[in-house]
Amino acid sequence: MNQESFNPFSMAQLQFDHVADILDLDKAVRDLLRNPMREYAFNIPVRMDDGSVNIFRGFRVQHNDARGPCKGGIRFHPLETMDTVRALSMWMTWKCAVVDIPLGGGKGGVIADPHNLSAREQEQLCRGWVRQLARNIGPISDIPAPDVMTSAQHMLWMLDEYEAIHGGKMPGFITGKPVGMGGSLGRTEATGFGVIYTVREALKQLSIRPEDTVASVQGFGNVAQYAIRLYTQIGGTVICVSCWNQNDQTSYSFRKKEGIDLDALLDITDRFGEIDKAKAKELGYEILPGEAWIEQEVDIPLPAALENQISAETVVNINPRVRAIVEAANGPTTPDADKVIAERNIFLIPDFLANAGGVTCSYFEQVQSNMNYYWEKDEVLGKLDVKMTSAFIAVSELAQKRNLHMRDAAYVIAVGRVAQACRDRGWV
Amino acid sequence: MTDQKKSIDRLLSSLQERAKELNCLYQVEEILGDPDARLEDICPRILKAIPPGWQYSDVCQAKISIYNKEFASPDFRESSWVQSADIVVQDESVGSVSVYYIKEMPPGDDGPFLKEESRLIKTVAERLSHFLLHQKMHRMVVGWESALHDVSDGDSQEWRVVLRMLRLTDRNLYIRISRKLLNYLCWSGINEAEKLIKTAIPDQQSDDQELLGQTNEPRRRNGGGQSADLSTATFKIAAEHLNSDEILSLIRKWIQEDKLSFLVQIVNRNLSLSDVADAIRRYYHLAVDDPDASSPNERGIQVSLIRRFLSDQLPYINVIKHYIEIKDFYYLLQNVIFSTESHGRLGGKSAGLYMAGQILKKKACDFKILADVKIPKTWHVTSDILLHFMHHNDFEEVVEQKYKEINQIRLEYPHIVETFKRARFPADIAQGLSVALDDFGDNPLIVRSSSLLEDRAGAAFSGKYKSLFLANQGSKRQRLEALMDAIAEVYASTFSPDPIEYRAERGLLDFGEEMGIMIQEVVGKRIGKYYLPAYAGVAFSNNEFRWSPRIKRDDGLIRMVPGLGTRAVDRLSDDYPVLLAPGQPGLRVNVDPDEMIRYSPKKIDVIDLDTNSFKTIDIREFIREVGYEIPAINNLVSVFRDGHISLPMGMNIDFDKDELLMTFEGLISKTPFIKQMHIILKTLEETLGYPVDIEFASDGNDFYLLQCRPQSYSGQSKPSPIPKDIDKDRILFSANRYISNGRVPDITHIVYIKSDSYAALSEHSDLLAVGRVVSRLNRLLPKRQFVLMGPGRWGSRGDIKLGVSVTYSDINNTACLIEIARQKGNYIPDLSFGTHFFQDLVEAGIRYLPLYPDDEGILFNMRFLTGSKNILSDVLPEFTYLSDTIHLIDIPKNTDGKVMRILMNADLDEAIGILTRPSSEVADVDEAVEAEVKPQDRFWRWRYQMVERIAHALDPAQFGVAGFYVFGSTKNASAGPGSDIDILIHFRGDADQKEKLTQWLTGWSLCLSEVNYLRTGYHTDGLLDIHFVNDEDIANKTSYAAKIGAITDPVRPLPMMKPTDTLK
Repeated sequence: MNQESFNPFSMAQLQFDHVADILDLDKAVRDLLRNPMREYAFNIPVRMDDGSVNIFRGFRVQHNDARGPCKGGIRFHPLETMDTVRALSMWMTWKCAVVDIPLGGGKGGVIADPHNLSAREQEQLCRGWVRQLARNIGPISDIPAPDVMTSAQHMLWMLDEYEAIHGGKMPGFITGKPVGMGGSLGRTEATGFGVIYTVREALKQLSIRPEDTVASVQGFGNVAQYAIRLYTQIGGTVICVSCWNQNDQTSYSFRKKEGIDLDALLDITDRFGEIDKAKAKELGYEILPGEAWIEQEVDIPLPAALENQISAETVVNINPRVRAIVEAANGPTTPDADKVIAERNIFLIPDFLANAGGVTCSYFEQVQSNMNYYWEKDEVLGKLDVKMTSAFIAVSELAQKRNLHMRDAAYVIAVGRVAQACRDRGWV
Repeated sequence: MTDQKKSIDRLLSSLQERAKELNCLYQVEEILGDPDARLEDICPRILKAIPPGWQYSDVCQAKISIYNKEFASPDFRESSWVQSADIVVQDESVGSVSVYYIKEMPPGDDGPFLKEESRLIKTVAERLSHFLLHQKMHRMVVGWESALHDVSDGDSQEWRVVLRMLRLTDRNLYIRISRKLLNYLCWSGINEAEKLIKTAIPDQQSDDQELLGQTNEPRRRNGGGQSADLSTATFKIAAEHLNSDEILSLIRKWIQEDKLSFLVQIVNRNLSLSDVADAIRRYYHLAVDDPDASSPNERGIQVSLIRRFLSDQLPYINVIKHYIEIKDFYYLLQNVIFSTESHGRLGGKSAGLYMAGQILKKKACDFKILADVKIPKTWHVTSDILLHFMHHNDFEEVVEQKYKEINQIRLEYPHIVETFKRARFPADIAQGLSVALDDFGDNPLIVRSSSLLEDRAGAAFSGKYKSLFLANQGSKRQRLEALMDAIAEVYASTFSPDPIEYRAERGLLDFGEEMGIMIQEVVGKRIGKYYLPAYAGVAFSNNEFRWSPRIKRDDGLIRMVPGLGTRAVDRLSDDYPVLLAPGQPGLRVNVDPDEMIRYSPKKIDVIDLDTNSFKTIDIREFIREVGYEIPAINNLVSVFRDGHISLPMGMNIDFDKDELLMTFEGLISKTPFIKQMHIILKTLEETLGYPVDIEFASDGNDFYLLQCRPQSYSGQSKPSPIPKDIDKDRILFSANRYISNGRVPDITHIVYIKSDSYAALSEHSDLLAVGRVVSRLNRLLPKRQFVLMGPGRWGSRGDIKLGVSVTYSDINNTACLIEIARQKGNYIPDLSFGTHFFQDLVEAGIRYLPLYPDDEGILFNMRFLTGSKNILSDVLPEFTYLSDTIHLIDIPKNTDGKVMRILMNADLDEAIGILTRPSSEVADVDEAVEAEVKPQDRFWRWRYQMVERIAHALDPAQFGVAGFYVFGSTKNASAGPGSDIDILIHFRGDADQKEKLTQWLTGWSLCLSEVNYLRTGYHTDGLLDIHFVNDEDIANKTSYAAKIGAITDPVRPLPMMKPTDTLK
């Protein structure tokens, strides 16, 4: 394969090298962290519905478990590669470290397209995957979770197989389970609320009262909806949301200058977060083009939809009033735009920190599963607030102290914590 | 009192009379319903039923006399105000029915009686006649059988008893059988029999002589006594040479055949439907279960009946004759509405459904699961009732509509609909519909067209004519009016522009517009104020939309929806039906929860019984309202809770809070539905010999088949012929794996993403930029005139390197999405088959094609794709840096005006992308294949108009012409750019006239040729192809004369100049 071509693992390593330089890590630490601790690759024979046998290739990569058991999803993808899994497992290590939860990073996958498999065949694949790895994963060593093209159903099959092999009930083996089957309450809210916990702390730091702030949100899915709810509760006003329109195959921004009414909008929104255009108009919303969300005169633009929404082209449209950008979506800002934001001195809460509510809640699910005692939603969200707040404070303090951009600071803290753990264990 | 009021009163009272008469007839019918009843019981009841049917019931009395027995109303006295009708059995009058008024009443049409009343009394007498005939016949058969039974054990000579019995009851039959037996013996080579024939019947020669009058001996033939002697002798010989079982079985067979003879006569003569129906009814009442049912005789009748009622298409007859018995026609005809003089058939849809039903019924012994397939209650209106209806309303001129220009037709169509809806139905048809309505009760109905054209191969008029839903609520009168209104509208749709255009394209314009009507009960249940089936849909034997390489074409395809099937039949723009492959039910289009939610049906079609209307409503709200009232809801929905989609268990659905998805998961995994569907499709396909397309519905308990027809390849999904002799330079690519059917014409732009350059992009942002370029081009390029070609899996989530990162909205204007799998090291990557937006592609009609350029024998024109001028930098200058990866090719600019056409053929599993002239220009000679499918109007229409003018300008007296006809492609509307015009001239003149006529026509011919050259560029030596026939040819039907009045493809006469014109 072409050496120069895009390789996600090389990219992850480059990113790590950049942070390692800032941290001035020594060679041994770099060598340890540049590559995963353990990698498994194996065959999974599956008896197909027509009686034939297909051999599938499975992977599990445990990047680093110095801070705790590895944690990371399992992907079913027809063009899965070891390098992809390696890169993702490394990112998991940093992600867990930045919110300071006692977990390491892992990732797994199978080369398979569920579109070509019946439910029974998928079940066999899940069970086969667990059989191959049963001794190397578990609630105290490596905890899988759902990822691309795997769902709660797959997790339950895997859990069942794992428990059958080990002869006991171990719901802490896996996360992403439905509530009542070892899942945690509060997961729906976790990411959106987590975003606003960091916003609240950021505003404190910038000495702005939430009541005095106005925000514009891109997207109206799960994350955006809960973020808006909590943001409004702490006193903020959202004046604009944008969302996709399936019929028109384009997106629209819905604006109400005195502030949107979340519940009224939810009444006219379908389950994909698509707001009914006509009804919104009746409710007095202005219907603007999809890109209009970013131009609004607000303090906080909050991209909560897709990647690469703030690019070199669109970044120039950001209103002078903007004080902070909150990356609720994954990778909403391109590197070019990042530079502009830094130059304009706009405070940025990086995705990696802002949307860490999800992984934190997964951790809570595992904790509850291990003690077989499940918290009420308030308790989950209360603990989430504590975690997110302290994670934010740690990052922003580092950023101030060392004069780093927030994005770099988040990486530096994460890598630093993992390196420290390795050192404390005497590995390096 | 005003005049208007008077006339309304008159109308009302006349209607009341009709109702009374009808009522009387029903009662009589009911009384005669029991074929075993005794005359003594029946007659008094009929006498009671008669007076209320007459205008002055209170002074009305009746009398029936049968076989010298008399029955009369109580206190009967004769009077001079009487009307009567004879009761006739086997052409013999055996009695009469009379109606008397006991005092003088105001004069009507016939004395005090109305003309409808004369008809009524005749009908009553007729029904009594049939009844008596049945009884007589039945007695005979029963008598014979009991005699048979008496002697059946012990006596080996039982046939003698049978014969004795026959001789007593039916002497003619006895003689006929003895003759047949004698013939049989002769054929078997028994000498005595031959001798007997010679002695008893004069030989052929002497017979001739006798006829020629050269003998003065009287003929010794029809003397009953002597024939009886002959019979005795015959039986004697038979007894010596055949064993008694053999004789008995022969006699039985002949008796059985004889019973059918009346039916043979009826169906073979061109009698009206009502006569045939009567004969079948007679047969039904006579028919005794017979182990030897399919005698050749019976087969013949069967086929005649099939031809008569169902279809005259040979392939159809060949199949259905194995699945239908004469008795079945009895049941079928119970639900057929026709007028007394009707000669029509049921039409394609009805015939198709009926055949499918019969096949599944018969095959149920092989596959138990088929026994559960039901067909909803259906009534049929025969095809010629449309003409009857039009005639009744003087609409004849509407027939000419089809020869008008299409725009004119479009303009006039709304008026035709209005006129039709205002029209009245003939009384007999209205009556028939009223009976049908009584049978249906107040269940909602669907009125569908059942055109005679529909069962002609190659012309599946799917959805071309109307189907209308009726809530069928309200008073009987309201319901009847609504039904007639709907039928009128369906009738009017015969003259709507779309089917006319479609017919013109296929040369079917001159085919009569007869159209049957199918009135079907809508399968379903009332839930709240709505009426709907639990689920419904369509299914195809061939799967033309495979979403996984594991699905084979013959795994079939089901498109199903909750509620009425309308949403499954049509392609939807705002919703998605559930797609399944019955051969691979485990492989789903949508596998992860997001996909399952996004692509599950959101809306449902229902009939609103309160407003009598058809409605589309939101499924979620509906379910929330009615919950478990929906039958078998646990089999229809899955519950989405907390990221997990699962089947409901017991009664655990919380309709207020739970998010429910219409997945049909329970139906698929817990019931035999899929297996049943698979077997239905396979059985029908195997039996009929072609892939089928069925419609189905279920009320939650039972499975109903609603329609069955050949799987049509309408427009886009027709298998495209793949030309083999195309120059390699013109081929852009070829493919031979996972091909579906279709044809993507006139592609002007290609967006080609080079596999290796794409893989070599080292910046993540560049990879993303490729997706953005595609998205921009999608908006800039002409809609449906460009194709996207790129490596791997378009729209794949996860690793972007494996395919361009796009969503459906980034590609929604393309005509075809092409995924290219290039060999990588030693493996070829899997393609996505468009799974990420598969259902969007299906509903939008965007084609998908996988290419494997490294396969052996596959052409992939890299030189064109990478060597043509790349205009990306002109169109999107800011993305010039991606020019190595993205090639945007303007095909016409690079090929001197050519476009790309993709031809796909699933039967061959081959596809090809070729450079060709745009289809708006004259078709290439080597693509004559394609010329057939294009609208041809412009070629035949002006030819036809010109030939009409020629005929009109021709003076028959001057040239000695008796008839002027047009035939061939001009008449059949199939003329191409180079076609000539076939003319047939019936010539009666002399040689001089013929010479002049030829000269005159040659002039025309050359002129027309010139006109055609100017229009099309085709050069011919004269456009007219003239054929002469004379009187003798016509009498002998030789050469082209055979085409005059021919059954298939006859010539069409054109009016010539009238004598008056000559005078001017």
